[in-house]
Amino acid sequence: MSGEILGAWIAVFLTLAIFSYLYKDNAFYKIAEHIFVGISAGYWTSMFFWTQIQPNLFGRLWPSKQYDADSFWYGIYDALSWINTSIFPAGGIDKGHEMHLIYLLPFALGIMMLLSVFDKLSWFARWGIAYTVGMAAGLRAYGYLNSNVIAQVRNSTLNFSDPDLPFFALIGNSYFNSILLLVGTISGLLYFYFSKEQKGVFGKVARVGIYFLMVSFGASFGFAVMGRISLLIGRFVDLITYNDAYYHHATIWVLILMVLALGYSAFKEKGSPKPS
Amino acid sequence: MNGILNFISRIGQLDRRWIFLIIALVVLIPLFFPLGLPIRATESTRLVWETVENLEPESKVLLSLEYGPSTKPELHPMVFALVRRLLKNDHKIYMTCLWPDGQFMAEDLIEKVIELEFPDKSYGEDYVLLGFRPGGEAVIKGIVSNIRKLYTVDARNLSVDEIPMMEAVNQFKDFDFLFSASAGFPGTVEWVQYASDPTGVPMSTGTTSIQVNEVMPYVQGGQVKGILAGMPGAAEYEALIGVPGIGTSGMDAQSIAHVVIVLFIIFGNVAYFVERKKAKKY
Repeated sequence: MSGEILGAWIAVFLTLAIFSYLYKDNAFYKIAEHIFVGISAGYWTSMFFWTQIQPNLFGRLWPSKQYDADSFWYGIYDALSWINTSIFPAGGIDKGHEMHLIYLLPFALGIMMLLSVFDKLSWFARWGIAYTVGMAAGLRAYGYLNSNVIAQVRNSTLNFSDPDLPFFALIGNSYFNSILLLVGTISGLLYFYFSKEQKGVFGKVARVGIYFLMVSFGASFGFAVMGRISLLIGRFVDLITYNDAYYHHATIWVLILMVLALGYSAFKEKGSPKPS
Repeated sequence: MNGILNFISRIGQLDRRWIFLIIALVVLIPLFFPLGLPIRATESTRLVWETVENLEPESKVLLSLEYGPSTKPELHPMVFALVRRLLKNDHKIYMTCLWPDGQFMAEDLIEKVIELEFPDKSYGEDYVLLGFRPGGEAVIKGIVSNIRKLYTVDARNLSVDEIPMMEAVNQFKDFDFLFSASAGFPGTVEWVQYASDPTGVPMSTGTTSIQVNEVMPYVQGGQVKGILAGMPGAAEYEALIGVPGIGTSGMDAQSIAHVVIVLFIIFGNVAYFVERKKAKKY
């Protein structure tokens, strides 16, 4: 329980330290910022190692299912196990995998990526990057073509022969919505056509495209504000929770101490001569 | 008239720290003194609700959590509400995470909602946490083709072969419904592209507010059966199922903050035009 209370105090301090930036850049904000960057880097490294590299890579190269103490391959494993038993536990890695030596390929590519830190060997990293880019491009091409192009065109196509289609509907198919969609798509695309000067009829259509884009940006801005306010509410709810007697009124104490410290700092700054 | 214009002009030059303070106050005060403003469900929220309500009893629902602490206030309330409804309707929940933080969110969900409010539901029979697997869209493709190859063990290191509710679950097509609670990449868009569209398994989503514009075309096109848009989406869903939760409690603050921001935008613009007119005059 004391751990929970300590955690609450740390959470309150870090939240208020970040909020203090709204007043001005200060030492509390810097502390919180550096802690965040450091912990994030450590957390992600640890998380990816223990959820990806250890179980999915090493777990497939040296699975416990096929462990053979006399084989050369598991001899290497046993040597590694002697160095670190938590990464390479005795008897092979038990993550339910079979042995797949093809995984030596991503293992090698991963090591090549790490070689980018050495100037003379940095070219090795290009192989890994080339594989990642090629794989991602191939994987995404189909998804985007199918869901964003074909499906979107098919779903927004208007069936004029449908007698039940309403002229206007707030959501779903209607003549009005489909025509609006058509005008917006064509004018928006024409705005990004730069091979012809945007004047005359072409310029006017492109201008209509700008208005559609502005509506879209406005909606995005509105949703962004909504999201940020939601996050602020989330932090405030936590601060209110941690101000409870159970947490020894963490919020109010940290707030008072922080305001006093910032006030003292501002007072000292005011009194000291400005650097020339 | 000149007095009003001067006042507006002065508002335009207001130190931004006053604006931060006012926003903080208008968010904080309704949290202490709730007003109980009405919550009306939008069409897209209603569509999620209808899709969930129309599921056959004991449907297999894949719940994918793609968010972390930074977006918890927006997505956690909707996931809480959805899980309450799914378990109340006796559906089976399979939880996966495309983000490492998602696993912590799922653990929190199990602790605060499932174990506390549904003690009769048992792990492995009514719900299971398959956990996080790295790889983004490659994980989705893995779930679509052969989930057992990707998940040999669950998040608690139990073999999936020994989990009763995993029986007859081999690929994505074996699920009846997918709900993606997404805060970015990989998330809803990838589930649409690599899972729902190619297989025809219906899906709904809950996203952060900032993602709504990106996902809305899929909803309008019928590829996604509704969207819960941020905290308001969660509050609307809570209103539909009749169980007020964290989403509802934050809505007063959200609504009042929006009104104040709109007023600031109006004042800011008027001040800008007043200043411009003054500059032209002199």
